[in-house]
Amino acid sequence: MTALASLVPVDHFVIMTLYALLISLFFALLWRNGRRERAALFVKLFLALVVGALAVAWLMYPFPA
Amino acid sequence: MSDSDLLPPLPPLPPLPPPPAPVVAPQRAGNPFAAVLLAWLFPGLGHFFLGRRKTALLYAAIVTATFLLGLSFEGRLYSPEPGQPLTILATFAVYGAGLLNLGARLVSSNPNGTILSVTYEYGCAFLLTAGLMNLLLMLDAFDIAVGRKP
Repeated sequence: MTALASLVPVDHFVIMTLYALLISLFFALLWRNGRRERAALFVKLFLALVVGALAVAWLMYPFPA
Repeated sequence: MSDSDLLPPLPPLPPLPPPPAPVVAPQRAGNPFAAVLLAWLFPGLGHFFLGRRKTALLYAAIVTATFLLGLSFEGRLYSPEPGQPLTILATFAVYGAGLLNLGARLVSSNPNGTILSVTYEYGCAFLLTAGLMNLLLMLDAFDIAVGRKP
């Protein structure tokens, strides 16, 4: 099992992006039927997750850990 | 002088709305309980049973990849713990992954994960998400089977 993890670099951003990718794919398939609608929702969800996480990270930046 | 001479002429009536469409009973795609059970056993199997083979394969790939990544990140396959009520919810979520969860518990040498690992929290998040995704797939398979979802 650790062989699979070795394929993914231990990096917060990479793992978060991978998570966003899987979630976006799943919900685009579940909530839409047409190919175009699915692609549009996938892009929206993926961008919302990644850009949203970066925005929250940027807002939290001034606060000490 | 008659009444019709005093009253102004009435405006023309608007056209009648079309008659409502006849109510058609939703068409069943298959046995809903079999679809839900199969969906729980393995991600996408319920959809495969209902004839949605392409989507079923995609669901299987996504949920299985999420689960295996969770295991490989040394996440935890939750079990209820006394004094920790949230572990009941986490256990429910992880058990949603069906045979993936049961098989991993049998095969894995470390079902509790490695709390000191850098990727432990990620692993838990991936495992919980995979189980919750499969619970949604069970509901989706039920809706398709009873004809609620086209």
